[in-house]
Amino acid sequence: MDVLGFYPMWYVSVVGSASIIGIIAAFHVLASHTSVGASILLAYLATKAYRENQPQIYDYIKKYILGLLVFSYVSGSITGPGIWFSATVANPRGISALIHNFVWVWAAEWIWFVAEVTLVYILFYTLGRIDQRSWLRLAWTFAIGSWATMYIIVGILSFMLSPGHEKWFTTGNILDAFYNKNYFPHLLERTSYMFAIAGTVGLAIAALMKKDLPEKVYKDIVKTLSYWGIGGVVFGLMFFAWYVSTLPERSHVIIEGVVPLYMKVSIMLTVLIVLTYFFLTAIRPQVARFWISLPIFILIFFMGVFPEEKIRESIRKPYIAGEFVWVNQIISRDVPAKGIESEVPVIDQKGLLAVNPFVPEGLKKINSQNEIMAGKAIAILQCSGCHNVTGSTGLRPFGQKFAGMTDPNTVYGFLASYLRDNPPPYMPKFVGTDEELRALSAYIAHMISKGGSVSAKIEVPNTSAEAKKEVQP
Amino acid sequence: MKDMIRWFLLFILSFMLIGGKWAFAGDVGTMLKAMPDPAGAPFYPVTMQVLQVLTWMLHILFVYTSIGGLFFSIYAFTKREERWQRLAKATLELAKVSVSLAIVLGVAPLLFYQVIYDPLWYASANLSAGWYILFIVFLLVGYYFIWGAYFTKDKPSMSMLMSVLGVLFLLLVGFIIHVVNYQALYPEKWVEWYTDGGRTMNASGWNIYAFNVFRYLSFLIFPSVAITGVFLMLYNWYFRSREDMDKDYLDWAGKLGARSAMYAGIGWLVSHILYIFTIPADWGAKGSIFTWLSVLGLILCAGVVFSSQKNPAKMAIPSLLAGSVALLLIAVFREYLRVASTSRFGYSIYSYKLNLEFLSPLLFLGTLLTGLVLYAYAWWMAYQAGKTPKGKVYEASETEHHLGDLSVFIVVLWAIVFIGVGLIVIVRNYV
Repeated sequence: MDVLGFYPMWYVSVVGSASIIGIIAAFHVLASHTSVGASILLAYLATKAYRENQPQIYDYIKKYILGLLVFSYVSGSITGPGIWFSATVANPRGISALIHNFVWVWAAEWIWFVAEVTLVYILFYTLGRIDQRSWLRLAWTFAIGSWATMYIIVGILSFMLSPGHEKWFTTGNILDAFYNKNYFPHLLERTSYMFAIAGTVGLAIAALMKKDLPEKVYKDIVKTLSYWGIGGVVFGLMFFAWYVSTLPERSHVIIEGVVPLYMKVSIMLTVLIVLTYFFLTAIRPQVARFWISLPIFILIFFMGVFPEEKIRESIRKPYIAGEFVWVNQIISRDVPAKGIESEVPVIDQKGLLAVNPFVPEGLKKINSQNEIMAGKAIAILQCSGCHNVTGSTGLRPFGQKFAGMTDPNTVYGFLASYLRDNPPPYMPKFVGTDEELRALSAYIAHMISKGGSVSAKIEVPNTSAEAKKEVQP
Repeated sequence: MKDMIRWFLLFILSFMLIGGKWAFAGDVGTMLKAMPDPAGAPFYPVTMQVLQVLTWMLHILFVYTSIGGLFFSIYAFTKREERWQRLAKATLELAKVSVSLAIVLGVAPLLFYQVIYDPLWYASANLSAGWYILFIVFLLVGYYFIWGAYFTKDKPSMSMLMSVLGVLFLLLVGFIIHVVNYQALYPEKWVEWYTDGGRTMNASGWNIYAFNVFRYLSFLIFPSVAITGVFLMLYNWYFRSREDMDKDYLDWAGKLGARSAMYAGIGWLVSHILYIFTIPADWGAKGSIFTWLSVLGLILCAGVVFSSQKNPAKMAIPSLLAGSVALLLIAVFREYLRVASTSRFGYSIYSYKLNLEFLSPLLFLGTLLTGLVLYAYAWWMAYQAGKTPKGKVYEASETEHHLGDLSVFIVVLWAIVFIGVGLIVIVRNYV
């Protein structure tokens, strides 16, 4: 019997496992961009303090580093592995594909992680305890080391979207995969925006310290942050335009036709608000307030970073990694350089339930007794990466998508023509036997007739032992 | 007596097999062989294996000082004497920094492990996926409690409460990772567990299928106290030369550390041996040299710590070395268990599909060398700063300034190389 390397499936009803990754990832992006942006801003401010002999700037730097330790080096350093952990359970074969291609690249990034974490503590504890020149050197190595984590991870993120070039499929060369078509615009866009994010946090901290700092120093700090912030937003927009121009064709289709307008508007509005705030604080540093900066920072999370992460996830579809692993974890094309073969023909021939070792024996052979449950299992295995397959709310729910379709034949006709024969560019085609498509249709019709919402529990009529006996009379 | 012990161990074994019904072992080998990533490993699996063992050792060291530091803090906060209060703050500080280091150092072993043992890791994590996500949540909450304890360190009762909550969450985190690692060792039960004997598919991820109390005690609880005890000896040794530090307090802390390390070391040894007895016979682990080397490592460590009781400061470095040897042997033993378990089904990392390439290992090597220069400079400066009395500033020597210049230069140079290579590739492929 053919067995493919699938893992136990984790199904999160309503919001979907992908949303769990999305929430953790958005949080990480905010924390890590704050930290990387701040590392460079603070090294610049430390240089200024040293050259212009303004020791009070160090007081500000120390507070900012403490803020980083509490926010970025707790939330950021935990949500970083958090993305990895959530991807491990939401899409094990997707993350595995990345790890098996990029393990050494990630290991290189780890060298910088260790540098980043140890240096932030060393900078905090040695400020005022070692001479300024030495501290300044540590600050710059921290800054460049922090940015190194970004210039590494961006290559992997870009590959997730697309290898960018057909060449990689035949060469398998890591450099072709890593230095992707959109590597540089992606890197520069993130590098720019991180200054705006770190600048917003910097303004909040400066405002809190207003009374403790001489007016000139305070103004100097606020103006510096504002200029960096303005530069970050302006350059970020330019590089964003470049980034969009390097996206694959299907991603353009998704941006134009699938990504909701409110997401795009919310990001643009956030950019506009942040830019306005930086202009105001650059002209009148007194405008900087903690109670303005903090809500703007929160706004950046909810209206900027979170929709951006959602869009980035959407435009990757139907793939999860390198245009060869679908979002439902099925390997959809050959990668000759790596000896990877598409699983689609095997699944079409044998059936998805048959080749998955974690499907109970009693569901592998479909009959009238188990048809609904087999259909539910197929829905969970093949569709739950992007859909709530048991309800009418949350993530692109089946209850809404198939509203009114209570006849299995109608559902079958729709699925066969829409998903098997002519799939849209952002969805994987249906893979499996015709019998399985009929079971899926029966389940969907059943679910809709129950009001569009059913329990996620799968009940198998026969135990595995009984089912095995039936197969081998 | 022997019968009692046998029955007791049998009870523990049955405890390990929560919900466990023997699975269809015949299919396990086929399943395990189908699961490894079709991309294969990009480098020799043995390299991944060695790196995994070494980096796990580093990671677990700081896990121990995180949890052990909090144990000491909590106990010390209950005492009114000044030296106890001082110790509570010092160990809290140790725990706070250690959690960060444990997190960042934990990335590497998991990374290398996932390349060669992907079937084990992904299957087991997905069996308890909900808990796996809670790992992140609990770690986040626990770490914020520890920061809370740090910010309230001048209010002992509040700080103690925060420390208690912090350590409870860390222990939960340890429990989850323990379960995931432990379940991974029983591939013959995965399908049985997930399908509940073929009746369903437990896709919710809220099930926990296996736990071994001795493994938990010997891999997490006892070593936390023992290793933190050794750290207190090092604390004594390191700060003794600082003129503004109270020598009596340091000696007292060192002795407390040595005593704690000795008692916890005995607990560690006993729980480790008990764990060995719970390993199923068909693994052949009880007769393996790796098993008994790990026991020997612990005995060596206990011996050195025992002889450190009179002068902990003098014996701090030998104790650290002995502890490191013991940890290394435990790390090897832990890896050996995976080999022993999976070889029952014909799985071997040494026959993992290989898609050898040299560019990315080269990239790693370059980054490693760059990092080592940077680490050497940064840690040396931190070491010197810590030796400098409060209120004074450490002035770097010319050599140290040169090392500083070198570290900035090499970090910038490596960034230029990295970006430069990228530009060449992009031009070659797209222009």
